[in-house]
Amino acid sequence: MSLALATLLYEWRRYMAAVVALAFSGLLVLAQVGIFVGIGKGFTAQIDRASADIMVLAPGAKALFSGPQGLPRRFIPLVYSHPEVTQVAPLDFSGGRFQNILTPEQQVKAQAAAKKGGKGGGPGGGTRKSEFVNLTVIDAIPGYVTVPTDYSPSMIEALRRPFAVAVDDTALKRLGVKKGDKALYNGKTVYVAVVTHGYPNIIQPMLVVSRDTLRMLGEADTGQRVGPLMVKISDPSRAEIVAAQLNKKGEGKFRAWTRQELADANASSMLDDQIIGIILGFSAFLGLLIGVIITWQTLRGAIMANIKEFASLRALGVSMGDLRNIVLELSFWVGIVGVLAAGLLTWVVSLVAAAGGVPMAFPPLLIVVVAIFLIVIAMLSGFLSLGVLKNSQPADLLR
Amino acid sequence: MSSGDNAHKRGETALKATHLVKRFKTGRSYIEVLKGVDFDAKHGDVTMVMGPSGSGKSTLVAALSGLLKPDEGKVSALEASDLWSLSNGKIDKFRLDHCGFIFQGFNLFPALSAKQQVMTALKYQGVGKGEQARRAQAALESVGLGARVNQRPSELSGGEKQRVAIARALAKNPNLIFADEPTSALDGENGQIVIRLLREAASVRGAAVICVTHDPRLEAYADRVIHIEDGRILDDVRRTPDADPAPFSH
Repeated sequence: MSLALATLLYEWRRYMAAVVALAFSGLLVLAQVGIFVGIGKGFTAQIDRASADIMVLAPGAKALFSGPQGLPRRFIPLVYSHPEVTQVAPLDFSGGRFQNILTPEQQVKAQAAAKKGGKGGGPGGGTRKSEFVNLTVIDAIPGYVTVPTDYSPSMIEALRRPFAVAVDDTALKRLGVKKGDKALYNGKTVYVAVVTHGYPNIIQPMLVVSRDTLRMLGEADTGQRVGPLMVKISDPSRAEIVAAQLNKKGEGKFRAWTRQELADANASSMLDDQIIGIILGFSAFLGLLIGVIITWQTLRGAIMANIKEFASLRALGVSMGDLRNIVLELSFWVGIVGVLAAGLLTWVVSLVAAAGGVPMAFPPLLIVVVAIFLIVIAMLSGFLSLGVLKNSQPADLLR
Repeated sequence: MSSGDNAHKRGETALKATHLVKRFKTGRSYIEVLKGVDFDAKHGDVTMVMGPSGSGKSTLVAALSGLLKPDEGKVSALEASDLWSLSNGKIDKFRLDHCGFIFQGFNLFPALSAKQQVMTALKYQGVGKGEQARRAQAALESVGLGARVNQRPSELSGGEKQRVAIARALAKNPNLIFADEPTSALDGENGQIVIRLLREAASVRGAAVICVTHDPRLEAYADRVIHIEDGRILDDVRRTPDADPAPFSH
């Protein structure tokens, strides 16, 4: 074991501040990116988990909700004409105002509460809620390309009935409904037929309806243009090849994405957003600054504490360059431990967030970038600390 | 590389310094700590440099060993005819190849076991890993710490720590050993062990041992005793080390 590593392990208390600073720098960046990506995933979760192997988007689309979206309806048969394509269905979205409907008893309670001047309802949640919601469709056919793979046949069965909607359990409270309740969506009566689990969205609650219900609500795409196409093929492992063949067939009029390709693009499109980019850039800068300063001062102090030992190595003829290497190696190991600590901390935070209904998602590339970022902070601190080695004057030991 | 055993060189001059002057700045004035000191040390000798605090004896050792550049004067050591004319890198290399140091404070890395301390010093000499371990073990055994090679400094007594420091200095088979008050932090018994080890390094290996001390009990082990005061050598006495010195008492 090297001197640097042995020192770090044995005198870990001395280096704790640096490791903690690095861990929090990492957490600062990771948690924010995780939340933003998680928010993005909230909008696409239902599509991400559908059994579509390929998605066909308009040319120039950078992600599902970024860039031009719709396609001419005539592309549906064009995509179908590929021999390996088994199902094609357009995505359809809508959105509108969702209001809960109170029972007469709840209304009386709500009025009484309003008279008392108290905010919110009593237990049982009998308050009037009005929220804007996002609506996506599925084809209420078991195993169909638009249906998320974790929907059970009974859920699909329930959604097949007219005006049935699915609500995620994390949105129930916000919408003021429970399973079986009636509610108003854009002024039309719907009822909560299905409660899903694992589709949180902290920005806007998501509702899922069948394509037929959407049509009955009068909001389905029935014209020349349709939403992105979800495509199922006979052999999912050939998705990349088929997507390439479809692209050739489309001659640039559309672009076929594999599911993974689109999911990655969706995750990073969130980070392309200007405001989010600025927030992240700023917190990365803060993380860098705080990380470097604390790590630098900690390393400095720790090296000063061993300066006599370093000086004795100098006396024995170990060159300044070798001592610098020891310090840089030490910084590197501090960085590695910092990365591990940041990972642990972020994991704990993401568990807490998930328990609170706030989903976080961490693209692997992000984790690699943050890990490198932390090691750069540690190494930078190491370079700054090299100055203290000037104090390792072996002649000072002779007094 | 160090030649290891220099027993055959016994009696030859290992180190010679002429007219060393060193001044330190204090405030606006300079104080002259070394006022033209001439000095030499031979292979196989324990040369004791004695004097009160502030007499310049530590500064002398620093100048002789390539740690502190004198303002005037010349040091020739082993094959380096003018040590201070060499570049810093060359001086480092000279110390790496030829010098062992033993300080009053033991200056051991708290994280390393006794064996690792010695191995670290050897590592920078370019000694291979297996050879490092073998030589470290041998050096620690020679100072009587064979059973304690895996202890860290916090688990060792003061005397044991100094013996580790000696093992660290001796493992590289230096031709020149500089010891600065090696016994002053130790009790009588441990002090005696330490000085005996230094005596042995001179007699058996032929190293030139230069030991700075104000401990009169060490005189019994010396071949030569130099008294220094106010930056000047007062007297220089060659003597025969006592065959059986009286035990230290405290």
